[in-house]
Amino acid sequence: MTSTATPTQTLPDAELAHYNPKSESAGTKRAKSTVFHLVALALTAVVLYPGLWMIASAFKPNAEIGGSNTSLWSNNFSFDNFVTAMDGIGGVSTLQFFTNSLILAIGAVVGTILSASVSAYAFARIKFPGRSIFFGMMIATLLLPFHVVIIPQYIVFQQLGLVDTYVPLLIGKFLAADAFFVFLMVQFMRNLPAELDEAARIDGAGHVRIFTSIMLPLMKPALISTSIFSFIWSWNDFLGPLLYLNTPDKYPLPLALRLFVDQTQSSDYGAMIAMSVLALLPVLIFFLVFQRYIVEGVSTQGLKG
Amino acid sequence: MINRRHFLTTVAVGTASAAALAACGTGSGTSAGETGSAENPVTINYTWWGNDDRAERTRKAIALFEEKNPDIKVNGNFTDFAGYWQKRATEAAGGGLPDVMQWDLSYLRDYGQRNQLLDLGTVNINTDAFEKSLLPSGQIRGKTYGIPTSTNAFAVYYDPAKLASLGIAEPDGSWTYKEFNEFLAEVGAKSNGEIFGSTDYTGVWWMFNIWLRQNNIEAFTEDGKLGFTKDDLKKWWNQTAALRGTPAIVSEERVTQLAPKSPFGSNVTATEVTWDNFMAGYLADSGAKELKLAPVPSDDPDNLGLFLKPSMLMVASAKTKFKDAAARFIDFMVNDPEVGQIFKTSRGVPASKTQRDGTTFEGTDKLVVDYEKSIEQYLKDAPEPPIVGFGTLEASFKRVASDLNYGKLTIDGAADAWFKEAEDLIKQNA
Repeated sequence: MTSTATPTQTLPDAELAHYNPKSESAGTKRAKSTVFHLVALALTAVVLYPGLWMIASAFKPNAEIGGSNTSLWSNNFSFDNFVTAMDGIGGVSTLQFFTNSLILAIGAVVGTILSASVSAYAFARIKFPGRSIFFGMMIATLLLPFHVVIIPQYIVFQQLGLVDTYVPLLIGKFLAADAFFVFLMVQFMRNLPAELDEAARIDGAGHVRIFTSIMLPLMKPALISTSIFSFIWSWNDFLGPLLYLNTPDKYPLPLALRLFVDQTQSSDYGAMIAMSVLALLPVLIFFLVFQRYIVEGVSTQGLKG
Repeated sequence: MINRRHFLTTVAVGTASAAALAACGTGSGTSAGETGSAENPVTINYTWWGNDDRAERTRKAIALFEEKNPDIKVNGNFTDFAGYWQKRATEAAGGGLPDVMQWDLSYLRDYGQRNQLLDLGTVNINTDAFEKSLLPSGQIRGKTYGIPTSTNAFAVYYDPAKLASLGIAEPDGSWTYKEFNEFLAEVGAKSNGEIFGSTDYTGVWWMFNIWLRQNNIEAFTEDGKLGFTKDDLKKWWNQTAALRGTPAIVSEERVTQLAPKSPFGSNVTATEVTWDNFMAGYLADSGAKELKLAPVPSDDPDNLGLFLKPSMLMVASAKTKFKDAAARFIDFMVNDPEVGQIFKTSRGVPASKTQRDGTTFEGTDKLVVDYEKSIEQYLKDAPEPPIVGFGTLEASFKRVASDLNYGKLTIDGAADAWFKEAEDLIKQNA
């Protein structure tokens, strides 16, 4: 024991003396970088495995999915699940479900962008009586769980005869009811220099002009991250459409996906997973196209060097 | 993400207040409601849960109904089972339940007691072709809230091919608990632990309920309290005490790994106790050529404790404007032989004799129908609709039994834990 302990005790001192990040040898650097990448790759593999499992399972026969089947790939590779998935459910084509999801998601994006940016401008740039109270109330709605308002909201839309239309799902987006996005934009705008509007005002611009010509172009990162989030949230929303839509013709994808799995009869996991893969594509594309703006938008940095 | 527990609590609060409001309303009228004509038909909404297959079949049945009843149009909608009840809870609170609904027994008392469902005794639905022992399961305090579309019964599933490969004889249809346990142990031993006998059947609420009936104990008293004692429950969980941890019973770890598929559907066990209408699902999941059904074990060969349970019911909303049309649609869906031909046993075995006799059953369907015929002589009255909150009780029974299997609880501890939960729940809903 003692004989082996002695050399290790002297090691730290020797290492410390030589340790200087700037003069690290190329070999050590490469080793460190290799280890870092290996660890990162291993973590990525863990995180991405469910996605890989989903894609692999989409090509398996139903009986081989889950249960005691542990192999990732099946020997019975086939596209049957996709064929079943594209057949639709109960006379409604899968394309219809996609279209419905798209209408809802695009509606949500357009509505949120229009309403949240205008409201944010008012909160950030216009001094009106009770501004801070209203701002506080808006933030308070963030703290109110959605589940608390489900029933009162349902009763309102039911009385107005708007159940089984897209109105209950979209109207809130056009009225800036998503406080999170308003807040995001307010924070973003507060970081934009006030001198810009002051200069515009001296040139004779009113609020409309300042908003459209000065603020909107500068807010691009915030607008884009808002679009991405509201698109993805709307695309993935299950409870809202479940409660407000009755006719299967109007169902978006998340509702349709659930129809493949039925506890009381046989469940077609294969078709459900195949459809999940298809449903994932638009979100993935949307994300890939706009992802470089996300960080920019969220970090609420108005102007950069 | 949506937190289901929070959601349900919210909805429960909401529905409870809605019920209080509804109770203040006027009593139900006796009029038939608005009626239509062929030129100017009324439209009723019908909603069900289920998959693509059921949607297709229901579409056909609705088309047939509209053809025979030109004065009524049926607007059909469907969702999955879990979403179905979230939606109904919200609609009930908002006063907007669809006119006619497919219903599950465990929700009948809840909605019935809160006056959300139409008393079908006040409208014209023919129930002459129904087993008299079955109808009470759709009734609460003398009012008929649901008409069963179809029935299911409890059974032991087994895979004859697996038994044959192990050189084990198929069950002959009558066994005691001791014989059943020996059978499970034999499967585990002969397969060298590759195939387990079964899941722990003492963790299945309905199997316990059947065992209670075999011992002439009712699970729930008429006033909604527990009808059995802690000692009964301990005795029940002791049934398989010697089998837990042996290849006779699949371990809880394995069951969890296999979820959402069942061990039986994953070809990990040779038998399973559950409802006989799971046949199609098991066949699809396991890929087995053939599965067979045997009656449940009983220590009293004359009392198997078995009963027919409505696998599904038809109900109408208390607020429907079209009582007469709703009643005619329900009557058609439960009695018409052509509807039987469309659904076969996908809803369960048709409950009405008219419908059952008008349907030809083949293959899997025939197996299930034949099984229910074979146990006819043992059938007793179906239990009343389960108490409010029964779903939670059933789930906690399963959970506590699984902790028992994990070895986290002793049998005494498990019985104490479950009784405490059950008594709290019953007190809350009283």
